[in-house]
Amino acid sequence: MTSEGLTIIGSIAPGFPVSESGYGARAYGNTQPGLPSARWLLVRPDGNVTAFAGKVEYGQNIRTGFAVEVADELRVPLEQVGVVLGDTESTPWDMGTFGSQSTARVGLQLRKAAATAREALLELAAGRLDVFTQDLVVSDGRIASKADPNRSVSYGELIAGEMLEREINDEVPLTQIGDFQAMGSSVLRMDAEARVTGRAIYAQDVLLPGMLFARILRPPAFGQQLADADTSVAEQMPGVMAVAKEGDLIAVLAEDDESGDRALATIEATWTGERAGTHLDIPQLLMDTKRDPISVQAAGDVEEGLRAAEHVLEGTYYVPHVAHIPLEPRAAVAQWEGDRLTVWAGTQRPFGLRSELATHFRVPEENVRVIAPEIGGAFGTKSWYPAGLEAARLARFAGRPVRVAYSRQEDTTEGTFRPAALIEIKSGFRSDGRITAWEFKAYHTGPFPFIAQRGSETPYDIDNVAVTVYSASSLVRVGSYRSLGGAVNHFARESHIDEIASVLALDPVEFRLRNLSHPRFRRVLETAADAFDWQAGPAPSRRGAGVAIGADVGSFVGTCLELRVEGREVKVQRVITALDSGLTVNPEGAKNQVEGSTIMGLGTALYEAVEVRNGVVVNASLTRYQLPRINNTPLIEVLLVGDPETPSTGAGEPGIVTVAPAIANGVFDATGQRLRELPLQRHLVR
Amino acid sequence: MPTVTVNGEDKQASQPQRNLLSYLRYDLGLTGTKYGCGEGLCGACTVMVDDQPIKSCMSTVGSVAGGSITTIEGLAMAGGLHPVQRAFVEESAMQCGYCIPGFIMAAVGLLSRQTSPSQDVIREALSGNVCRCGAYVRIQRAVERAARETTE
Repeated sequence: MTSEGLTIIGSIAPGFPVSESGYGARAYGNTQPGLPSARWLLVRPDGNVTAFAGKVEYGQNIRTGFAVEVADELRVPLEQVGVVLGDTESTPWDMGTFGSQSTARVGLQLRKAAATAREALLELAAGRLDVFTQDLVVSDGRIASKADPNRSVSYGELIAGEMLEREINDEVPLTQIGDFQAMGSSVLRMDAEARVTGRAIYAQDVLLPGMLFARILRPPAFGQQLADADTSVAEQMPGVMAVAKEGDLIAVLAEDDESGDRALATIEATWTGERAGTHLDIPQLLMDTKRDPISVQAAGDVEEGLRAAEHVLEGTYYVPHVAHIPLEPRAAVAQWEGDRLTVWAGTQRPFGLRSELATHFRVPEENVRVIAPEIGGAFGTKSWYPAGLEAARLARFAGRPVRVAYSRQEDTTEGTFRPAALIEIKSGFRSDGRITAWEFKAYHTGPFPFIAQRGSETPYDIDNVAVTVYSASSLVRVGSYRSLGGAVNHFARESHIDEIASVLALDPVEFRLRNLSHPRFRRVLETAADAFDWQAGPAPSRRGAGVAIGADVGSFVGTCLELRVEGREVKVQRVITALDSGLTVNPEGAKNQVEGSTIMGLGTALYEAVEVRNGVVVNASLTRYQLPRINNTPLIEVLLVGDPETPSTGAGEPGIVTVAPAIANGVFDATGQRLRELPLQRHLVR
Repeated sequence: MPTVTVNGEDKQASQPQRNLLSYLRYDLGLTGTKYGCGEGLCGACTVMVDDQPIKSCMSTVGSVAGGSITTIEGLAMAGGLHPVQRAFVEESAMQCGYCIPGFIMAAVGLLSRQTSPSQDVIREALSGNVCRCGAYVRIQRAVERAARETTE
């Protein structure tokens, strides 16, 4: 794929931090990439630069983040940088866009690629201008002699007519903080105009000539199997091209969306298997089926710590399933040309989907191209993307391009949910405010211990600690959610910490600080409390102030908020979160992410919960599933306190982990009611 | 056969019962108007009909026959972006952007009725739209900015 200009190739390793046994492999069975190295950057003869990354854009604003990093390292104006994302044909292999790895790993790799290009161009310029590289200066895509600025050459002139290739130099000097132009300052997002004019294309918007609209027959309840389906009426309906019966996949293929809907409704199907299970059974299900304990943190001897304590406190916390509800329901369009397949799909794992498709159809991976266009929200659930294979199977059946676009309700029930969890905490502490023992047992539904584990460790200085997480059976399909189990585990821990402070009649901020030596935790807590103007004193103070701290994906957060309780309604009024995610590439982008995390956490704290009756999710549509709206949005202030000398860590997820516990603590401060179960508004007694 | 005007162009619609959102997206290819819930509860499908914002997923073509429809594609004027669009860009009032056309249309509708709405009026007028990414703080700022800049 050598092109005119300067191509920078390099290892794809930064895209998958832990390949064989790590997060992605355990979560989704990712295969190894076929090629160890790929093209990351192309400097073109016209001076424009294109960066390539296998990550996808679902609102994190990584496109702009990557462009900023490349522009700064290459010393070119931001407008000259383009970014190609999530296309298996043109971008480096990538495990998937999750776990806040984009800036931390791929961004760094692109910086190195751009710096390597800059060094290569300097060498070329030295030869061309007959000046030593150290006597040259680079700016605005031009290289000039320091002594004689008139002796200069542009990037384009250096590479015109050439097909140069360089490999990323891992040791290449990166731009120093003081020399950043765009990095660290807030730039407007480069894809904003496409988004406000309707030009941005999402998977739901991909329409090909000759394309058929598919509607798939779904089981009425989880776990039910199709026994028989009478499709004879549907087949005769106007606008229906055919009804596909491909084993378990039955779908109407129609010339337009509404003909498909109408025909689907006429299919008479019988199903076998019980319609079983309600959400009220889940806590008992967790206790009955908990298995595969993993010790996440162990120190000292908890029994000894409890004996050394003056007080022992036990608490059980419960968090129900919640739904992601990305505003764009899953959609995919598939097109076959001979034995070559192209699929447009809003998946978080385009390369994973490519492997799935190649395996299913027994074709080489090179024959399959997956393109992830703009993605209308994901939050973890779009790693699970069955629409891609469904569209490809139906397109092969029909011999025409096929679009599978889920309805809202279908997207919810055929998607994944955040695991529900029951968490038992036992703590021992002394009257001087020292915690001497900490036992934390978390039972999360589903077979994904990496979800249960996240954020379960205690950050406090406790000598005797036992943190254990368990898997368990699940009524519904579970999967990744923003921060995985982090927000769930934090709810239990930070609620319990407040309960201890209350037993000791200590101020919740002061109590945390007494047990917290880690400087980054202390800084986020102190910064948030100062900015909030925290009034020290034991809860309940009737003011409705709540606090929590947390960590996720290597970043640290502290949140203080205030709320009012009116009847059974909790009105969160003001939220202040301090985030330390090291070097912040794009402060506006990071703040936007923390604001969004705050809103999302607020919904899960107050009213979101998936209800299951007889194996059916009964609140899969927006009539029954309440989402945060603009008229219940609090004032949100985000303080970025990361040290620019510390490497970048994630900003998309940490902001959610403190929200639910801070709200629960605020409700206690306002009312004296300690609610150990989410969503709080269902359990509040007026 | 009902006639509608879409972004200034006259269109014949052969099926009066055709869902308006489906008509705009799949028959006319105007995919800037989005499907989010199909129940009129998320606002992603908001378009203007004769200066009134409506949820197109809850309408048929026949019900707006004779009307003048403006979608997000028809909002930008010859001189560039509409002030509301510009304000959303300047305030980075978006994340994934899927809900944004609907929010912009709802905001345009609000500002055509009321040039200087209070914060509470803005929040009320936009409460029929969902931004699941939670860019509400910025969306609020963008609408305030657009109101300021159009009245100045």
